[in-house]
Amino acid sequence: MKWLKRNFTGIGIVKLVIYAFFILFLIIPLLSVFLVSFTNEPINLFGSLISMETLQHTVSQFTHATVDNFKSVFSNGTYFSALLNSLRLSFLVSIIVLIVCVPIAYGIARTKMPFKKTISALCTIPLIVPTFISAYAFIIMFGRAGWVTYLYNSLGGEGFLIDPYSFTGIVLVQVFFFFPYALWPMVATFKVSDVSLEEASRNMGSKSWLTFVTVTFPLAIPGMLSTALVIFAVSFSDFGTPIILAPTDLNLLVVEAYREIAGFFNWGGAAILTVIMIAVAGFVFWLQNHFFKGKDYGALSGKPKQVKMNDNKLLSGSLSVFAGFVVLVPLLAMLTVFMQSIATTWGVDPLPAGYTLNHYKDIFTNSLGNIQNSIILALGALVLSIIIATFVSYFVVRQNSTGLDFMTTVPLIVPGIAFGIALIQTFNTAPLQLTGTAAILIIAYSIRRLPYMVRSTVGTMKSIKGDIEEAAVNLGASTLTAAVTVIGPLMLPGIAAGSILVFITVIKETSITILMAPAEWAPMSLAIFQNILRAEYYSAAAMSIVLVVLVLVLQAIANRFSRKEL
Amino acid sequence: MENENTVKDVDSMGSVVVEKLTKDFSGVTVLQNINLDIKEGEFFALLGPSGCGKTTTMRCIAGFEKPTSGVIRIGEKVINGLTPNQRNCGMVFQSYALFPHMNVFDNVAYSLNVKRLKGSNVLKKMATYTRMLNSRLVKYPKDIEKKVRDILEYVELTEHAKKLTSALSGGQQQRVALARALVMEPEVLLMDEPLSNLDQKLRHTMRNTIRKIQQDLKITTIFVTHDQEEAMSMADRVAVMNEGEILQIGTPTDLYSNPRTPFIADFVGTSNIIPGEMLDPEDGLSVIQIGNQVVKSVSTADKKAVQVIIRPENINVLKEESKEYDNSFEGEILFATYLGSIVRYDIKVGDYTLTADTTYESGKNILKAGTSVKLGVSPERVLLI
Ligand SMILES: Nc1ncnc2c1ncn2[C@@H]1O[C@H](COP(=O)(O)OP(=O)(O)OP(=O)(O)O)[C@@H](O)[C@H]1O
Ligand SMILES: [Mg+2]
Repeated sequence: MKWLKRNFTGIGIVKLVIYAFFILFLIIPLLSVFLVSFTNEPINLFGSLISMETLQHTVSQFTHATVDNFKSVFSNGTYFSALLNSLRLSFLVSIIVLIVCVPIAYGIARTKMPFKKTISALCTIPLIVPTFISAYAFIIMFGRAGWVTYLYNSLGGEGFLIDPYSFTGIVLVQVFFFFPYALWPMVATFKVSDVSLEEASRNMGSKSWLTFVTVTFPLAIPGMLSTALVIFAVSFSDFGTPIILAPTDLNLLVVEAYREIAGFFNWGGAAILTVIMIAVAGFVFWLQNHFFKGKDYGALSGKPKQVKMNDNKLLSGSLSVFAGFVVLVPLLAMLTVFMQSIATTWGVDPLPAGYTLNHYKDIFTNSLGNIQNSIILALGALVLSIIIATFVSYFVVRQNSTGLDFMTTVPLIVPGIAFGIALIQTFNTAPLQLTGTAAILIIAYSIRRLPYMVRSTVGTMKSIKGDIEEAAVNLGASTLTAAVTVIGPLMLPGIAAGSILVFITVIKETSITILMAPAEWAPMSLAIFQNILRAEYYSAAAMSIVLVVLVLVLQAIANRFSRKEL
Repeated sequence: MENENTVKDVDSMGSVVVEKLTKDFSGVTVLQNINLDIKEGEFFALLGPSGCGKTTTMRCIAGFEKPTSGVIRIGEKVINGLTPNQRNCGMVFQSYALFPHMNVFDNVAYSLNVKRLKGSNVLKKMATYTRMLNSRLVKYPKDIEKKVRDILEYVELTEHAKKLTSALSGGQQQRVALARALVMEPEVLLMDEPLSNLDQKLRHTMRNTIRKIQQDLKITTIFVTHDQEEAMSMADRVAVMNEGEILQIGTPTDLYSNPRTPFIADFVGTSNIIPGEMLDPEDGLSVIQIGNQVVKSVSTADKKAVQVIIRPENINVLKEESKEYDNSFEGEILFATYLGSIVRYDIKVGDYTLTADTTYESGKNILKAGTSVKLGVSPERVLLI
């Protein structure tokens, strides 16, 4: 009774509603996917609550529950090899990314490398492009009719330089498009590495390369391992690259799970793969938090000090060449997509046969709907995540709500494809048949991107002093009124910064879109994906360019916002 | 609501009574058995060193902290069960806590807007909410407009009404905070170290301003401070707190001349506090042995080991011995500090260093260190605790 009285205030109700939202659309779907991995057929948890018949059915499903599925992971060769392949892919990608990033990061942090600014700027390209577009760009570069293949053959090579439709192809795309996630933390690490230790080493007569190998590098190792785990997680849950490039004989978890649900309606199979994906991603997240929390940057040393620049000309020159090559690949990939988008035809030649703007005209006449859908869905997700994130950060900062803090961390861990499968499974029957509606798509988007928003709003909330809110309450306002009229407006900058990030990532979102978007709500990413599958490369290219330009514009706006904030 | 007001005993409307207030923070006792009886219209100061629990006491009255035990009443009404927004206590925060996204006018109008939200229909509610979010969208009704204008004029901020609060000086922000609290016509005004963010000079002006407003409006005011000068110069009565307890409550003069403990004597003004031993009384005066000297006092104590307290201004610094004083000592100037209208001497007497204040007269020389002097103190000015 007391509990009821305490919580039945305006703000208390809001908190309950938010909890209900997370439980309904995050916890129950994940739970039910877990249950389905035992029962092997979809279970109707919501139906069981309202209909006796459904409840009986569900109970009988549980009595027939088996662990066969888990056994089959090891007996059924496909699932097990999918797991192994996925782990192998992510492991390789994170190792290669580390190796690629160490010299570039050192160059940026510690040398007067030529073209440092340009190289840094080009490093943002990979972050803007959704991976399935990068993968597709690799096809039109390295594929049968790609210009790289043409050059390679005319220089006397046989067949492909690199077959894009292969394990190697996937590794390369992920390396070239994920490396910036590792680069910037690593640059920070090298910048703050304990300079005095290095000087001590140099005083004792060490050569500078020896200093790097024996002092600088070892000091940076914990930070690098943490970064490697980030790359591992990103690669592991990436759906865009494998779905485009994985050859039929290459099993990967994300692709396999997608096929099970979209191709065969094999609920049990999809569920068990989802559970495995979440388990692996959760384990990586746990590793990172448990062993490396706070170890990535400053913990290496005390205060950041003036860094001594290495002014070896030969070194900085070769670093610049290497870094230039690494950033050139994504740039060339995007240029290739652009060339394709304005080409009349482009056969096995270094350049298109002729140029036209017809593909763009085509898009703006026939596919305007997709652009609209993208924007409407992203706006919907935006509004929803603003509302939720604002209140969540209030509860987390002011009331120390660890529960909601946890709820908004979960989406960081669950791979998109896994979350999509969980949602489809939970909401595909009455009483809550939402699969195939725009509503569930918007909900899925906002839950998935909520962590970004919450991070931004929690920061702002922390900067609003508690007595401002107390002053409002003291003047007679209820906690809810104070939240709406005082806290809300003061949160606007944080909300604006988070909004653009959410908007951009929703427009880029691939896995959820491909899995869940109904035909009448197909956004741009789905349209591009379908065009690639149908080998309609020219319209895919034009649409990709539109998408990337849209993201670029938004990013530019976001940058201006954040600069104003500073 | 209206009815309750009329039923109330008018005389005790704004009085504040705190009975046996205790507050624990996760097992640590921060307030212990606090009892206050603040009369209507009184200017009451809570004085004590940092961390003694002044703010916590005030926050219990405002409703931001829940007492572990004890009763708080405003007028006849027990307010323990009320939420902070039902208490009608205007509060001026130490940091002012002005709403940075609103201009001065909107800040001051906040409580009037909130009042309007209660019990009005949905449309009016929406309009008020909109106005609170952006006052350019929905105009203020006449009555609110007038009330805010009047109070802004009263605190001399009329020409700053449309400015953002961040564009104001410290003293102006302070007055906005005051106006914002006063406009809701609170039964009690709570102020937590309101002057601590101001510079020395402004602090003196604001003391007068606050005191004048309090006198004009006759509003019951609780004023928290760790500055004894502030408390003594402004308040009708002062409660001295230390370590979560109230040591003494009294008028400033009462506290100054009859401190109940050495702590108060030291905290309220400067004091010479010297331990001594009671001998047998002589001629109706107490006699106290300090080292190899004796001191006579009109006050008495019923224990043997006492603290002798002499205020610096009650020590007369003389060139030669005078029969005028029953207590007379020899001393040597250690140090002289010129404080404007007074000169403060540190004087070595036996094993002790005493502080003595003399009024500075122009043309007269300040005594140099090393000068031998005679000190005279009358027994009326020697306090025993
Ligand atoms: N929320 C809290 N949780 C735990 N302890 C607290 C809390 N608020 C105050 N305290 C403790 O209670 C004691 C009294 O605090 P209070 O803020 O009332 O002191 P104060 O007299 O106002 O001091 P100051 O002059 O520094 O403002 C302090 O020891 C403080 O650390
Ligand atoms: Mg305080």
